[in-house]
Amino acid sequence: MSNEFNIKNIAKLASINLSEEEQDSLSNDLSIILEHVNALSDLKLNSQQQEIFIHPLEKELELQEDEVVESLTHDEAISNAPESKDGKFVVPPSME
Amino acid sequence: MSLKPTIGIETHIELNTNTKMFCRCAVVDTDEPNISLCPTCIGLPGALPVPNKKAIEFITLLALSTGCEITSKGMFHRKNYFYPDLPKNYQISQFDLPVGLNGELEIVIDENKDYIQIERVHMEEDTGKSSHSGSGRIESATSTALDFNRSGVPLVEIVTKPVISSSKQAVAYIEELRQLSIDLNISEGRLEKGNLRFDANISVAPEDSTELGTKVEIKNMNSLRSLERAIDYEIQRQTKALEDGVEIVQETRHWDENKEVTSTMRSKEGSADYRYFSDPDLPNMFLSDQFIKEVETLMPLLPKAQREELMTTGLSLSQSNILSKSDDWIKKMYVKVFDQTKDSVASYNWITGELQGQMRKANIEVLPEWFNDDYLSEIIELIKSNKISFTSAKIILTEILTTETTPSKVAEQKNLFQENDSEKISEMINQIIKENQDIVDRIKSGEDKLVGFLVGQLMKQSNGSVNPGMAKELLFKELKG
Repeated sequence: MSNEFNIKNIAKLASINLSEEEQDSLSNDLSIILEHVNALSDLKLNSQQQEIFIHPLEKELELQEDEVVESLTHDEAISNAPESKDGKFVVPPSME
Repeated sequence: MSLKPTIGIETHIELNTNTKMFCRCAVVDTDEPNISLCPTCIGLPGALPVPNKKAIEFITLLALSTGCEITSKGMFHRKNYFYPDLPKNYQISQFDLPVGLNGELEIVIDENKDYIQIERVHMEEDTGKSSHSGSGRIESATSTALDFNRSGVPLVEIVTKPVISSSKQAVAYIEELRQLSIDLNISEGRLEKGNLRFDANISVAPEDSTELGTKVEIKNMNSLRSLERAIDYEIQRQTKALEDGVEIVQETRHWDENKEVTSTMRSKEGSADYRYFSDPDLPNMFLSDQFIKEVETLMPLLPKAQREELMTTGLSLSQSNILSKSDDWIKKMYVKVFDQTKDSVASYNWITGELQGQMRKANIEVLPEWFNDDYLSEIIELIKSNKISFTSAKIILTEILTTETTPSKVAEQKNLFQENDSEKISEMINQIIKENQDIVDRIKSGEDKLVGFLVGQLMKQSNGSVNPGMAKELLFKELKG
């Protein structure tokens, strides 16, 4: 278990199951990644440089008009659902 | 130990656009499930979001109207969590670059103004609706059923700074925000339909402390009444805990409307738990000066300015506040009736009191077509010129609400015009005196109060057509010389 993060909590948030071995090996990997990323905080940046605005797409966002376009019918929309009832998708119980 | 509560409120406003936030599915208000869906709003692989221009206009309008600084370089983020009503497993939201920052909203409590600082105004999408089936308690549900019609509906979240100190202030803030969204025409503002939903962050700390106490988030308050009660309950609960030396846990609590208590829902996630990152499907959003200027042209007269205008007619701050939060037709009617009568108090009282009261009583939701604003002015003028009594005026109003007629016609038909002719009144008085000699004797021997009885008899016999002030005066003269 790393001192900086709780691998079990991260696995829970990501909704994945990890074995003890996987937890150990991923903890090591994540520690290395975090160390690497933490190097960024050593950079001395002025306020303008701090205004980082990185995005993988070098493109300005386009907006669409507020006009309805028909898409899936009800039957099409739920056709792939493993289970449905009264027109609703049915999934295993989920309570917090 | 003297303790003070501190409250911050997060409000979600559902925008009244035609289509959803990131796809062109219609926003629908129906119980028929899953009829307005597309690959984007049910999170099918490969579907790409494109923001709704109208929704961006609406949020900019709201941010400008609350005096926010507009973030011209904005960005959408993914807020990750797993819950079945969120088909993509993340909600598209905004994190460090929301549309609006650092605003303020004026609120009114009685005759006082107050200002609530707003931290941020950001754009996001709504989730689907889940219902839990199975018998008994919700925790033992056997399955969850999902309707995604609401999934992707544009939501604006407005977060206040922790500056609210009472449930009364919190309610006034929501009332103001609701009216603002209606006046801006960006939302229906109907609480019962979930157009406006709010959570409260509440903490309690010693009066002289510069630091806030541990904050607890309260969810599931569906009305202003439950907001008020939940806040009051939670302040009491935390105050008692601190006084008893019990530590407050940072958590999310659920307001139980029936039991009127809050109870633990879950421990509170930190923002790191949501693993926010910029949505690679949505490029950066630049709001140009030109765009902002265009949005500014859509700005209506805001509730704050409406109050100021109404106060110039002679109304108090609280009266102006009530009118500013009334339906549009009521505001318009007030302006017209005041213009005609120049009597702010009578115009206000007749519209917000008698007219609305009678409409409620008779279950009239919309004024009948023939009902003209001028009729109220006419009624007010008739009272002021002593031509009808207040009681007659009420009868006239009842009649014109249900029958196609005019105030003067009703007054004539029902013989409601007051008798102001002193000779005629004197004749009637003489008759009354004859019929009530015993009362007259008692008045003469000092029981002045009984004059009221004779006035009542006079009103009865004349079908209320006698000016009561005049009648009382003449009676006194007659009896006491």
